[in-house]
Amino acid sequence: MTSYTDKIREISKRLLKEGKVDMVIGFTKGSVPMMNQPMFARNQNDVDGFAWDGNCGINLANYVTGRSEKIGIVAKGCDSRNLAVHIVENKIKRDQLYIIGVPCTGMVDRHKLTASVGGEIEAIEEDAAGKTVTISGNDFSETVDRVDVLQENCALCMHRNPVIYDELIAEEVPEQTEESVDRYEAVRKVEEMSPEEKWAYFDDLFSDCIRCYACRNACPLCYCPTCFVDESKPQWVGKSIDPSDIRIFHFLRAYHCAGRCTDCGACVRSCPMGINVRALTKKLEKDSLEYFGWEAGLTTEQRPPLDTYKPDDPEQFIK
Amino acid sequence: MKVIQIDKSELDAGLEKLESEFRLIGPVKEKDYHLFTTLTPGQKPDLEYINTRLSARSILYPQSEVMFEFSLDKNDENYAVLKEPQKDRQPTAVIGIRPCDADAYEVVRRNFDTPEYKDPYWLKNYESTTLVGLACSKPCPTCFCTSAVSGPFSEKNVDILLVDNGDHYLARLVTEKGEKLAESAGWNRPAENADETIEKMKLDAESKIKSEVATDNLASQALIDLYEAEAAIWEPEAFACINCGTCTHACPTCWCFDVQDETYGKAGFRMRNWDSCMYPLFTVHASGHNPRGTKIARIRQRFMHKLKYYVDKYEKGIQCTGCGRCVRLCPVNIDIRRICNKMNSYDPETCSCAVTS
Amino acid sequence: MKNLLEHMGIDPGRLHFSWISSAESTKFVEVAKNVTEEVMALQSKEKKYMKTKPKVA
Repeated sequence: MTSYTDKIREISKRLLKEGKVDMVIGFTKGSVPMMNQPMFARNQNDVDGFAWDGNCGINLANYVTGRSEKIGIVAKGCDSRNLAVHIVENKIKRDQLYIIGVPCTGMVDRHKLTASVGGEIEAIEEDAAGKTVTISGNDFSETVDRVDVLQENCALCMHRNPVIYDELIAEEVPEQTEESVDRYEAVRKVEEMSPEEKWAYFDDLFSDCIRCYACRNACPLCYCPTCFVDESKPQWVGKSIDPSDIRIFHFLRAYHCAGRCTDCGACVRSCPMGINVRALTKKLEKDSLEYFGWEAGLTTEQRPPLDTYKPDDPEQFIK
Repeated sequence: MKVIQIDKSELDAGLEKLESEFRLIGPVKEKDYHLFTTLTPGQKPDLEYINTRLSARSILYPQSEVMFEFSLDKNDENYAVLKEPQKDRQPTAVIGIRPCDADAYEVVRRNFDTPEYKDPYWLKNYESTTLVGLACSKPCPTCFCTSAVSGPFSEKNVDILLVDNGDHYLARLVTEKGEKLAESAGWNRPAENADETIEKMKLDAESKIKSEVATDNLASQALIDLYEAEAAIWEPEAFACINCGTCTHACPTCWCFDVQDETYGKAGFRMRNWDSCMYPLFTVHASGHNPRGTKIARIRQRFMHKLKYYVDKYEKGIQCTGCGRCVRLCPVNIDIRRICNKMNSYDPETCSCAVTS
Repeated sequence: MKNLLEHMGIDPGRLHFSWISSAESTKFVEVAKNVTEEVMALQSKEKKYMKTKPKVA
């Protein structure tokens, strides 16, 4: 990953030097393991702060929303797809962006690792070949295969290479295919449940929610000036931690992402409680694909399916 | 102060005795993490735990709490009357709270228990609760309690402090409340040379704390200088922030709440929910104007409050016990230790910070 | 939306969609009647959706 880091610094420096961009947005190493921080560089001296490894799971498209500068932005496959969604939804202009594409082999699941050791992880190290991850802390040190500790959305990702970019920092990585991974296994498991089982499954899933809204705020799709949960006239949903209000929040948040979600996993990654809120958005992704043949963020030319009307849109649910 | 010895094998029997007198709350592992929960009869707290994922704040101050009930039915004798609901405030004992969380109650109390205002909900809970603390022998890498207002063996705000000493606990009875609880539990065997042992273990634990913040200059820094340090502190720190409430909700010393009414049919409830100064909505006026409309303003508020306004107002140090939860949980690594060091080392002459990590 | 509600455990048959023209009064009556009947039938066994008080401390 050192080569990625060097390349990102080199390109950023060049872009700033040539005045091609006003700022570059990327990641810097966090002060604690697995928590890299989004950062910007406005001048060449700052670029040495940039870093890249398997802990860059936050979606940087979230940081360009509504900005007016010319921006260089470091983008993995999913970030680039969300940039495409942003461009379609007029949140940023294509010519404002210089996209530094990062072919990605997935991000490490911080929740899984933390839960697996009980204590606090003090350091995380990836080997040069990108095969293993070593975590250590008070009284423990463990090496695991990197593929076993990827975020679930990364393990199921079909677009690891940036979809739109101006420059790639490395050779493209091989993509996974429908044959090599079963993207919707978890969704199908829930689909096969009875309504009572489904209800209980989501009751349990959301039981830890503290309504901090990290999932919503980490999501590049959530840019409404005032979110429906924050409206008070009328108040659409109660603001307490009553389970039905929590469920309404998650349901509507997810539904607003229908046909737009790229399954970047920033919501789950940022959740302090590690709740798999993707259980809802993944279902929407599956439905978008099955009903409309649509995957979000693959083109800047077409609007998402729930935004448009076509005579052959499925309508069997209408009686 | 009296120190007694409780063999681990006799702990459970003591807790069982306490069940008739107290509602017991303790750390329990659920799914993959520990949290505080009311123990059902026979259920035992897991005192081998490191710390709970979220703080112990909600024990005294639930995230959502009904303050009043009212009726919208004109025929009801309670029509349009705010009535405080009956709540279960039986004597409660928290078994195994870490000193950082216990000391946080002292911090919060400065706000909820003042000569002018007393928060009845929090205070009633506080007064009915006995805190059995559990000293921390294995601090985490992100713990910085010793340079905040706590410590791994801090006794400032516990009634009993348990110290794990192999096959037994040494229990220092700090307050009268603590003595009474020990009596009810039947724990009364005096420990020998305990003060010495505890002191040694305390020094050992403190030496294991690797992380610290510098706070010595915070009080003497001019408030306006720190407030205006946008380029050196607030702009770069605010950039990554997503304005979620993770830090404030995980924090044991945050106390802000928002009052909301909810009605179902003719039944009304006035409740309070934890609020977060990170939310844009936190300061929106009825006019629509928002004095803290930008991310920079909100980030600055959170840290100025904890590390400057509070320091100046109460002169009791920072509003932080160093539990490290916000550091561990912030999804974008906004680290209070880094910000505290920046604020402490800020030089208004050069508009820069001598320490930036 | 119907799919996602059902995915979360809301019984199929609680949410209905119909095209009804403003001229189709008889169709409206018929649909409203059917929907009410179907939902009432479900309600007898399921009461979990009605919130009568906040479930908080």
